[in-house]
Amino acid sequence: MAEGTLALPQVEAARPVHRLIKLLPGIFLLAAIGYFGKFIEQSISAYAKANHLHVPNIEYVLWAILIGLAVSNTIGIPEVFRPGVATYEFWLKAGIVLLGSRFLLGDVLKLGGLSLTLVLLELAVAFSLMTLLGRWFKLKPKLSSLLAVGSAVCGVSAIIATKGAIDADDEDSSYAIAAILAIGAISLFTFPLIGHWLHLSDRGFGLWAGLAVDNTAEATAAGALYSDAAAKIAVLAKTTRNAMIGFVVLGYALYWASRGQAQAIGNKARFLWQKFPKFVLGFLLISVLATAAVFNKEQLGSLANLSRWAFLLTFAGVGLRTNIRELKAQGLRPFAVGAIGELSIALVTLVMVLLAAKAFNL
Amino acid sequence: MPQASQEQNKRRAFQLSTDWCAVLTALALAVLVRVGLIHKVPW
Repeated sequence: MAEGTLALPQVEAARPVHRLIKLLPGIFLLAAIGYFGKFIEQSISAYAKANHLHVPNIEYVLWAILIGLAVSNTIGIPEVFRPGVATYEFWLKAGIVLLGSRFLLGDVLKLGGLSLTLVLLELAVAFSLMTLLGRWFKLKPKLSSLLAVGSAVCGVSAIIATKGAIDADDEDSSYAIAAILAIGAISLFTFPLIGHWLHLSDRGFGLWAGLAVDNTAEATAAGALYSDAAAKIAVLAKTTRNAMIGFVVLGYALYWASRGQAQAIGNKARFLWQKFPKFVLGFLLISVLATAAVFNKEQLGSLANLSRWAFLLTFAGVGLRTNIRELKAQGLRPFAVGAIGELSIALVTLVMVLLAAKAFNL
Repeated sequence: MPQASQEQNKRRAFQLSTDWCAVLTALALAVLVRVGLIHKVPW
């Protein structure tokens, strides 16, 4: 007993350092792949310029993702790198918080207000569609709920939060996550092509990507593939969507609890706070500081570049975590429901964005 | 508890702490930029 009591603090003290050391190889891998992507983009651009060639500019974002995909789907990710590679979500969130420095609070309120209106419409469309498609394809009702939440709000995080709240099966959540990830990977490559084809403005495309691409990392990457300005708007729209997660999960939890198939919710305010993505608060705080002129122009430039470096690691992680074989192994039906639903959501949100672009001159 | 469920609980806990870690890291970086310890970050 005494031995255990004495030993505990030592173990606890050693843990964080040990954990940090375990993360380093993977973080180094993310940085190396991301930087290599940037290096390829710069090298091709310099070569084309020196030789007076007209080569289409392939952004570092795409290189980083493609290299990551190639690594994870050929040699795989060795165990030693896995904990660090999983930190790509941390870099994504830190990057989003830092990106707050590029928004004045007025912009956040104006664009965030427009995003919020469009997000609410998108949520209504996504829930109705996914529920109907789930019925037509005879999916289990809880799997349909998970797919609806994943496609309406924010992909994997929303599915995991809902899974716990509605007591869904592990198998259902794995299906839903696999379907949403596969569709996210496809959207990432197709959205910028469609955006260019339709000659969407940076703001219009950013808004569309933020509304229709499921995972925050993929939405950010799709925006960055289009342009820097589009990435900024995509993050804002996606962050607005993410902020809805608590309400959506609460709604589903109450629905399933009323049918006696999930635990009842005690304190609803506490539940909402638990599910609320806290990095949104960081994003708003940095935006408030930037609006209050706490940073000068050079400092704002530094914060924006720190945000870009954080995203660079995220994009490498997006490629590394996508395993095509694992996605294929999950079966076709949930993927078909997800794909048909996502395609419809993409079309509806595109029409919404085109109308908003006309009305608000985006 | 099944292993997959344990994994997902771990992931949920990880995500909660990731949110706060990301916010604190970003704020710490912002402070360092503000006081001049980090300046002219290249891209």
